[in-house]
Amino acid sequence: MTQIDVVGLTKRYGTTLALDGVSLQAREGELVSLLGPSGCGKTTTLRCMAGFMDPDAGDILVDGTSVTRLPPQKRNFGVVFQNYALFPHLSVFDNVAYGLAVRRLPKAEQRARVADALAMVRLQGLEDRLPRALSGGQQQRVALARALVIRPRLLLLDEPLANLDARLREEVRWLIRDVQQQSRITAFYVTHDQAEAMALSDRIAVMKAGRVAQFATPREIYQRPAEAYVARFTGDANIIPARPRDRTADGGFHVPFGGVMLPVPGVDGIRPGDPAMLMLRPEALSLIDPGAEGVIPALVLGTAFLGAALACEVSLADGTRLRLQASPHAPVQPGMTVGLRVDTAHAWLMPDVLS
Amino acid sequence: MSCHEGRVAARAAVRRLLPRLLLGLPAVALLTLFFVLPYVEMVAMSFRAPAFGQPFGSGHTLMHYGRALGDPIYTGALLRSLLTGALITALCLVISFPLALHLSRLQGRWHVVFYACIVSPLLIGVLVRNFGWMVLVAVDGPFNRWLLAAGLIERPFRVLFTQGLVVMALVHVFTPFMVLPIATALRNVRPELRDASASLGAGGWETFRRVTLPLSFPGVQAGVTLVFVLSVAAYVTPALLGGQGIAYMPAVVVRELIGSFAWPFGAALAVIMAASTLAVVTVFTLATHRLAERTRG
Repeated sequence: MTQIDVVGLTKRYGTTLALDGVSLQAREGELVSLLGPSGCGKTTTLRCMAGFMDPDAGDILVDGTSVTRLPPQKRNFGVVFQNYALFPHLSVFDNVAYGLAVRRLPKAEQRARVADALAMVRLQGLEDRLPRALSGGQQQRVALARALVIRPRLLLLDEPLANLDARLREEVRWLIRDVQQQSRITAFYVTHDQAEAMALSDRIAVMKAGRVAQFATPREIYQRPAEAYVARFTGDANIIPARPRDRTADGGFHVPFGGVMLPVPGVDGIRPGDPAMLMLRPEALSLIDPGAEGVIPALVLGTAFLGAALACEVSLADGTRLRLQASPHAPVQPGMTVGLRVDTAHAWLMPDVLS
Repeated sequence: MSCHEGRVAARAAVRRLLPRLLLGLPAVALLTLFFVLPYVEMVAMSFRAPAFGQPFGSGHTLMHYGRALGDPIYTGALLRSLLTGALITALCLVISFPLALHLSRLQGRWHVVFYACIVSPLLIGVLVRNFGWMVLVAVDGPFNRWLLAAGLIERPFRVLFTQGLVVMALVHVFTPFMVLPIATALRNVRPELRDASASLGAGGWETFRRVTLPLSFPGVQAGVTLVFVLSVAAYVTPALLGGQGIAYMPAVVVRELIGSFAWPFGAALAVIMAASTLAVVTVFTLATHRLAERTRG
């Protein structure tokens, strides 16, 4: 429906720079996550987009038209809040109908649209209840229906699952994705949970201290992080200081590691000899017979049985410690010497900090 | 065995509850001594027979209630007290709401300053406050002098000893009892609700009407009840500023009890006044029960 462009958003609180030139785009029907730790500016970005806060500089464009000067009530954006923000004195029906009542729509149309919205979030038969008589998951469904019923140009979700327990979180997460896909609404989704962002998003903006560290698809963020910060924030990773020796024929780097020379892909800007970081996700490492050729010998420090996998911590000859996941049937015990194989297609060389 | 366990459980329950009972004891003792017993005594007194030369005689009668409810002097005073109480409550509410809204949005030092201004009427003793009003509105007082000097009036206003002054003075002193509970209720309205309302298309006034105002109701209910009860029972201010011309119920009660020394009749009037006030408060509470239920914390 809508294309959103956020351009150079800047916001200062006193002397601290909360947003430092945040630029993002969302194409029609796309769900974009803002991922980062608390204080990284993701919620501030969302609040500026919603109009609850004025940015000091920058612009927010909807289909090329600036909305930065519009008050929130003129933007027609649906907002879902972390603590639901349902009106406690209004029934489920009246909460969902709120935006329609404000627009003075005929009662019959209000009823029909509220029923549609509640059906969409699969919450029917509770229309007369007050919010306090609902569970957290039900409240968040009402909040979602209330935001959708006004047919917003953009849906903004501020950590909508943070107050739900783990089981409900999964359920509501899929509901949000379904509803967003069905209604083809462009959406921005703030979260600090990388798994949530991965599962839901078309693209993820990883934020760091008021800036966008990387803005790309979940796959790219996970497999080709722009810097070590992004790699650390998007899942388990072994991140080891490394200096590439030279470029490979296919554009990668030769990196000395554990006594062997690994050909690994990496960020283009790195020059041979520069200090860099080698990322090895646990699934890029596997254990094999230590006698085989070209393997890296490693000492098993500890193991933990996770059911589907056996988590191992190993150390290399130079003291580098690595975490990896082996087959749960692997006959591995602490103190054993094993062979380590690196799947170089899943390794990645990146700068420590993007300059 | 089970008998022994039962005794152990009972002893544990006592040990658990005892601290709570002890903590409640001073309040219960105080209320019994200064609230329950006087009321019981007053209700009993209202049924006693009158007597010459002493406060009350022997034997019991219902005649005081018949007399009080049959005489328009007394029912008139009661009605006037209740209506004036309602007027004072309504004026307090209108004046207090904007003040409460402002107080609820202030932070830090300004909150303290504004809070002090709001409660300032309570910081002055009742006599000083009322003599202050007398000086202010006297025929040759500053109020009249300013109006004369400004050319707004030709002759001094007679304000002292009017019902209007009584209402104004009581609104002034009871405003804190309205502002504080409403401000507390408004402070409990989560700011995200205003954001949510705005995002759904509501402007400032619409958000106030649909969200802020209804959610302030627990405070309005508390304030209205407090101010109404205090207004109906007010004695000193009407006596000092209202003059002898108009009789309010508390003054009538005091006159019977102390002036005429007719304790049983005075007690009957006091019981009638308390019961009427309670009835009005009960009707108000029941009538707004649904709204209060929906908007409580």
